Amino acid sequence: MTFAIDVEGLSHNYGGTVPALEDISFSVAAGRFTVIVGPSGCGKTSLLMMLAGLRAQSQGRIHCLGKPIPEPDPQRVGVIFQEASLYPWLTALENIEFPLSLRGTPKEDMRRRAEAMLHLVGLTGFGARYPHELSGGMKQRVAIARGLVQDPPVLLMDEPFAALDEQTRMTMGHELLRIWSTTSKTVVFITHSLTEAVYLADEVLVMSARPGCIIDRIPIDLPRPRNYEMMATDVFGRLRDRIWRQIRKADG
Amino acid sequence: MKVLLVRLGLLALVLAAWELLPRHGIVNPLLLPPLGDVLATLGELLQRGQVREALGVSAMEVLLAFVIAVPLGAALGVLIAENDYLGEVFKPMLFIVFAIPKSIFLPLFILAFGTGIQQKIAYAAFTTTFVVLMSAAAAVESVKQDYLLVARSYGATRLQILSRVYVPSMLPILLETLRISMIFNFTGVLIAEMYASRTGIGHLIASWGENFQMKQLFAGVILLAVAAILFNEALRWMEARVSAWRT
Repeated sequence: MTFAIDVEGLSHNYGGTVPALEDISFSVAAGRFTVIVGPSGCGKTSLLMMLAGLRAQSQGRIHCLGKPIPEPDPQRVGVIFQEASLYPWLTALENIEFPLSLRGTPKEDMRRRAEAMLHLVGLTGFGARYPHELSGGMKQRVAIARGLVQDPPVLLMDEPFAALDEQTRMTMGHELLRIWSTTSKTVVFITHSLTEAVYLADEVLVMSARPGCIIDRIPIDLPRPRNYEMMATDVFGRLRDRIWRQIRKADG
Repeated sequence: MKVLLVRLGLLALVLAAWELLPRHGIVNPLLLPPLGDVLATLGELLQRGQVREALGVSAMEVLLAFVIAVPLGAALGVLIAENDYLGEVFKPMLFIVFAIPKSIFLPLFILAFGTGIQQKIAYAAFTTTFVVLMSAAAAVESVKQDYLLVARSYGATRLQILSRVYVPSMLPILLETLRISMIFNFTGVLIAEMYASRTGIGHLIASWGENFQMKQLFAGVILLAVAAILFNEALRWMEARVSAWRT
């Protein structure tokens, strides 16, 4: 079978000397939700940047939908950043249109697609607001809409909810699952939150401290659609414990 | 609202004191002529060909120095902010030179350019370029790395990153820079005119002072103060409009 993302023997050194990532291999089947966890500074973000074609690796091979990704390709891979990455001088709608406008999409087409995304993330009617007029959760919805507007089959998310409060964070996670289930994207999601990892993932990859490598792959076989009650179950707790033990080991 | 009233009250108080104290001989009217007399003189001066000509010359000097200094300073500032090597070499040097009062170079400019219009323009452009350069460098560095990363991840070209991310992100700081550089520019021209010149409003003000023509002197001061304040406020108004998104 072909994988949406296929990484083989990936290593990276900073400045040719400091080892950051070591012999990373994993693959993600199309339409699956993969979460990467690991101690701070383990190179998770570097890995994501490489998957997005934003940074070159020292060694190894990354295939995204069957082809290498030497530079950003928004038609294949969309990146969703933290909510603070919205352009404050553009309205919510203009932020969502931004990726399309770079490619000279006709204005009406652009507006229609951006409005549709705004609706998808539950912000119909908020298009004319500027980011500073929106709450943290609403801004993150806009950032998600911006990442989805070009309809890339693969979505990469680097701790998108890290700046949100716990309650908003859970709501956003739930929202993301709802959006994901209607769009059938392949998602790679980085987080520090173990609860979030178990709640969202089909599979959790645990990375070790620097130099980062993958030390465990934990399948999450909770049924879908997920709901908040599952967090209180034994299965959920055991999965979270397993990840936690691995991370503690990883941190040394 | 209340604060505004207090402010206006204070202003009225100062103006009233300026009118009444010399009028009743409490302050020597030869040193400080009453406000009413100064305003009447200002009206007369504005009718005089010599004064109008001087204002025209000064305005032209200010404008030309501005047109030279702003693009030059902005280009150099962007260069040292964008290029790590140039930044490392020149930034410390510029910071040190920035601390020197530029007026000590005025005699050098007179030797190099004479006492004509070129010298005023060269000196004002010199002082202003420094200010623009420092602010432009700061403006470039104020652009968040995240903003650039987002644009790159969506496949933006270098030109698109410049026009769609750098420019809008820097615009409020750039306008502020224009405003502050105009203050330096104006000051540069006036100082150069007062120091050694045959033309310009700065020269007129200096000679009124030397000849003890206090009414004319104060009229000139009011005229320039009002001009500078109007320009400054106009740019501040524009700044507020384009930077509504900054919170």
